Amino acid sequence: MLILLILLASYLHITNGVFDMSVMDVIKTLLRIEANPKFDLVIFEFRLPRIVIAGLVGIGLGLAGVVLQGITRNGLADPGILGINAGAGAAVVIFMFFFQLKLVSADMSSWLSILMMPLFGFIGGAIAAILIFSFALKNGHLDMQRLILTGIAINSGFGALSLFLSLKMSAQDFESAAIWMAGSIYNANWIFALTMLPWLLVLGMYVYRKSHLLDYFQLEEDSITSLGIAVEKEKMKLLLASVGLVSACVSVSGSIGFIGLMAPHIAKQLVGIQHRFVMPVSALIGAALLILADFIGKTVFAPSELAVGIVVSIIGIPYFLYLLVKSKA
Amino acid sequence: MKKINIVSFSILAVFPFLIALVALVSITYGTKDISAMTVWQAMAAFDPSNVDHQIIRTGRIPRVAAVLLVGAFLAVAGAVMQGITRNYLASPSLMGVNDGSAFVITLAIVFFPGLPNYQMILLSMLGSALGAGIVFGFGSLIRNGLSPVRLAIIGTVIGTFLSSIATAIAMYFQVSQTVSAWYNTKVHMVDMDMLILSIPFGLTGLVLALLSAKAITITSLGEDIAMGLGQKTKAVRIISMLAVVCLTGTAVALVGKIAFVGLVIPHITRFLVGVDYRYIIPCAAVIGAFFLALCDVLSRYVNYPFETPIGVLTALVGVPFFLYLVRKHGGEKRA
Repeated sequence: MLILLILLASYLHITNGVFDMSVMDVIKTLLRIEANPKFDLVIFEFRLPRIVIAGLVGIGLGLAGVVLQGITRNGLADPGILGINAGAGAAVVIFMFFFQLKLVSADMSSWLSILMMPLFGFIGGAIAAILIFSFALKNGHLDMQRLILTGIAINSGFGALSLFLSLKMSAQDFESAAIWMAGSIYNANWIFALTMLPWLLVLGMYVYRKSHLLDYFQLEEDSITSLGIAVEKEKMKLLLASVGLVSACVSVSGSIGFIGLMAPHIAKQLVGIQHRFVMPVSALIGAALLILADFIGKTVFAPSELAVGIVVSIIGIPYFLYLLVKSKA
Repeated sequence: MKKINIVSFSILAVFPFLIALVALVSITYGTKDISAMTVWQAMAAFDPSNVDHQIIRTGRIPRVAAVLLVGAFLAVAGAVMQGITRNYLASPSLMGVNDGSAFVITLAIVFFPGLPNYQMILLSMLGSALGAGIVFGFGSLIRNGLSPVRLAIIGTVIGTFLSSIATAIAMYFQVSQTVSAWYNTKVHMVDMDMLILSIPFGLTGLVLALLSAKAITITSLGEDIAMGLGQKTKAVRIISMLAVVCLTGTAVALVGKIAFVGLVIPHITRFLVGVDYRYIIPCAAVIGAFFLALCDVLSRYVNYPFETPIGVLTALVGVPFFLYLVRKHGGEKRA
């Protein structure tokens, strides 16, 4: 069902655009019947990598959202709202500032530096996460409202830092830095997809294997400890794993909020609260949402493109407010 | 309350000098340093063919005047909001007031291009009212929604929403550049006509704020006390919100969105002069003006010879301060 949805979104995405194509053309090109160099270029160099990246980022954010909501026991947790995105984004901008990476014209020679980017993002995201949690921790307990507020502050702090650094850059670097701040994937290419894939696979597997822990975390603190689980240690590991996932996404697509918020909630409505099921479903929903949002961003506003991050905010914020109304004070 | 507040009088006596000093620095130093003598000549004996005189008259003076006004406006707007809602996190930028202005201005640029400046200021004020209205309306819809922390969350989220929609609209009608010239901080390109126009609007806001100062003090003690003292709470709220709308709307129309001034300055002022808003409001105005002018001067030197957006500097002060406030006060209601 969900896979059908993703396919539908991808279908819309691949056939529409500044350059419209018929389904037959797409199928012919993909299956290598009557290959047409013009179609090849559009599909393999522009649209397909973009869809793949939107899908991968959606999966990563969907997973990270489940983990964050699980460990904070807070239905409003989202990597974007908590400021992890902003931290990772700022680190990536710092990285670009010092290494003068020309991402607009990324090719094989900058392979190594592109591989480094998620690592840098990870450091920034981890710093943001540590900051957030150290501020929000009150008598050893996480206070949900402080968590979000601290996230807001961290967001604007790192946002200002990124802005400051990006203004010191050369014009070309600035352009690529601007992408990170808006949250957009229009310059997607296969190298990016390959860079984030290992992060997604390894960390995705890891958090999935730990999904039973997230079920336990919903219990009272005392009862978990009595089950013989080192709660704090496991929480920390899971937190770092989700920061890793987010960083891989941010280093490719910039800061995209609210996917990590929406996907887990929709997934829980569909398959109940067991994280074993919630996690994969949430990942798929994240992918579908992001592909769809990117499709909206590129077609509704054609010939200019709206950053996918903004499309997601417009959809996601009403949902966030709805959750806020529903949640008990 | 009869006792004369010495601290606030010394603030009101000292800060004009500090402001004059920072204004002079702001006018004389920059990418091109100009001597104080030339500045005097530009004022007293203006010579249109002298480039330095032109820079001073059309660039430097409007700029410093604008940051002084906006600093005062935002600080007072923040003080009034904090007092009236008893919410220590209330401030124009956190409660979606700024974003409301920017949103309505975007609509105006798209649908009614070429409106005269004074109408733009009015629309900007309308937008402030709209943003504040949505945020507080939503806040009162949900349980506990008017508590400081919740309201700040709602305000930020709705603010982001309004500015996302504004971005989308601007993109769709391909006016992004015009719009971003309007509401991104633009202290370096202040429009002289706009500056002159904004003075009456802003002054109206300041006067309204001063007139309601006593009532705000009473409101800030708590709803029950205010009612007990026979205060017409509703009327006070309306007048003071009108003041906030005037002040913020004018500030956004003049230089764009600047965050944290309206949050930080009222706290500093209250710390210095106590809880009486008859003193807080004028003191916040002078401290705010000084603070923003100082930020503006610094913004030219952080990354010399390039300018840094002034918002980066206000965030530098504002973010740690904000975190400190949240950590210290949490969800309690006080201002």
